[in-house]
Amino acid sequence: MMATPGTGLIGIAILLALLVAGTPIGVALGLVGVGGLVLVLGLEPALIKAGVVAFDTLTRYELGTLPLFMLIAQLLFAADASRDLFDAAAKFVGHRRGGLALASVGGCAGFGAINGSSLATTATIGMVALPEMRRRGYSDALATGTVAAGGTLGQMIPPSGALIVFGIIAEQSIGQLFTAAIIPGITQALFYLAVIWLLVLWRPSIAPRSERAPWPERLRAIGRVSDMLLLMLFVIGAIALGWMSPSEAASVGAAGSFAIIIWRRRLTMAVLHKAFADTLRTSGMILMVVLGALVFSVFIGVTGVANLIADGVSGLGLGPVPTLILIALLLLVLGSVLDGLGLMLLTTPILLPIVEGLGMSPIWFGIFIIRAMEIGFVHPPLGLNLYVIHEVTPDVPIRKIFKGVVAFLLSDLVHLLLLILFPVIVMGLPQWLAQ
Amino acid sequence: MKNAYIWIGGIALVLASATDVLAVVGRHIGVPLRGSIELVQAFILVAGGIALIIATHAGSHARVHILADRMSPPWKARVERVAAALSALLICAFLAGGLWIAADLWGSQEVSELLHLPYRVLRIICNVCLLLVLLAWLRKVLGRERP
Repeated sequence: MMATPGTGLIGIAILLALLVAGTPIGVALGLVGVGGLVLVLGLEPALIKAGVVAFDTLTRYELGTLPLFMLIAQLLFAADASRDLFDAAAKFVGHRRGGLALASVGGCAGFGAINGSSLATTATIGMVALPEMRRRGYSDALATGTVAAGGTLGQMIPPSGALIVFGIIAEQSIGQLFTAAIIPGITQALFYLAVIWLLVLWRPSIAPRSERAPWPERLRAIGRVSDMLLLMLFVIGAIALGWMSPSEAASVGAAGSFAIIIWRRRLTMAVLHKAFADTLRTSGMILMVVLGALVFSVFIGVTGVANLIADGVSGLGLGPVPTLILIALLLLVLGSVLDGLGLMLLTTPILLPIVEGLGMSPIWFGIFIIRAMEIGFVHPPLGLNLYVIHEVTPDVPIRKIFKGVVAFLLSDLVHLLLLILFPVIVMGLPQWLAQ
Repeated sequence: MKNAYIWIGGIALVLASATDVLAVVGRHIGVPLRGSIELVQAFILVAGGIALIIATHAGSHARVHILADRMSPPWKARVERVAAALSALLICAFLAGGLWIAADLWGSQEVSELLHLPYRVLRIICNVCLLLVLLAWLRKVLGRERP
């Protein structure tokens, strides 16, 4: 069979069918990739390509970044990071109206800097913050919506698992991606804080005031998280300033996490076993998707379907901003049926050439697609974060959680639009540091 | 067996981390650790290969649930078994390619640049891990493990 864009389009259609049928995402991507390569190149080159991808990926130095950052998260989680982070934020702003919701966003941002996963951030901060907010009389919609939206910060604030995977797939510097994500991550958190402030201003009864924590208590709470925060600031700063590669920074972070958990007398064989098991299980899941996506992107490259779509899009003559808005809409629609990782890995080989053709940097695209992925975590019908929250608070109907997240979703869309209109939000920091 | 996988994979991660930390410290005090990247690559291969095995045994591979969650349990079980068979087929392709390359390069004395780590050994580790992943998927196809 000839390698034509038509072959590529058939491959994409089969891939979507396999995904909807419940085939593991990595397997569906890989099967279409290998199967397509067998058809267009022949059995021998296809199998050899598959073997090369498997070995090269498994021995890839940068790949170490992913499990090591996950190990940091698991170790610090065992050291009660989520509870301490929320507690510290709550001690400072909890007495203000809506303060615990603001503290939840702060806790999510802090835990996101340790964790790198949207679902894990939502679940862990949710378990700590939701009972507290509900006990203090916060409305269920505000409490659940805040944590569901705040949890997405885990995906954006570096170190982020999704950014590492994007860096590997798109062959971009993981360090630059982390640096580029800092300002969008901070502005996203500020948007959420603004949403909470506006909601509470509009309906003060949804978030009553609590008692003010005295300063010694506040300082003790800050003291409990200072070691973790300093470690993560050092890790992220070292990457941004070019002192260490992301892999080295992840290793130093893992060593630091071991030191913290030993210092806190939390390191037992059971804790270590659980940390290793969870790290390896999640890494294996992501690794399978990466392997499949790499083979799939070879197939997409061979068929030229990405170029065909790129030509078609540029033929529309829409100009960069409308085209990027169109791509954002496509990602949001696909995000309704595909999970975040699948969405990113399916669309990156196709959309990246289009975006580059519009003069945008692949680093910008990485941040843009992850921002779109995050929105998929909170918008119906998939909205995985909403279901995570529902598991944490089963007595709150899912409809109410959806309702609570709407205001945050609107702020997400505005934030995404700003990233398109002002790419400097993403590229400013890496360009400034490069000077 | 599962515990052995977890400890081997975890220790490989710790060794990768320790090697990188020593390399960073060494670089800053003027005693560079030659070939640290090659060592980390070997540890990451072990950890990554074992991670694939553990994720497969645990049935934690990411999938889209939009249709599967709406099926009756017998249909869901059938669909999951087909998905496991497709997964085994893909891993079979990776393994076949890996074995093909390993056989082709067996006599070529392929080694890493600085430490001269034999790639032959690394390829064996990679292929053994793929074989164990394949066996894990086949167990699910045969219904001995939940997909």
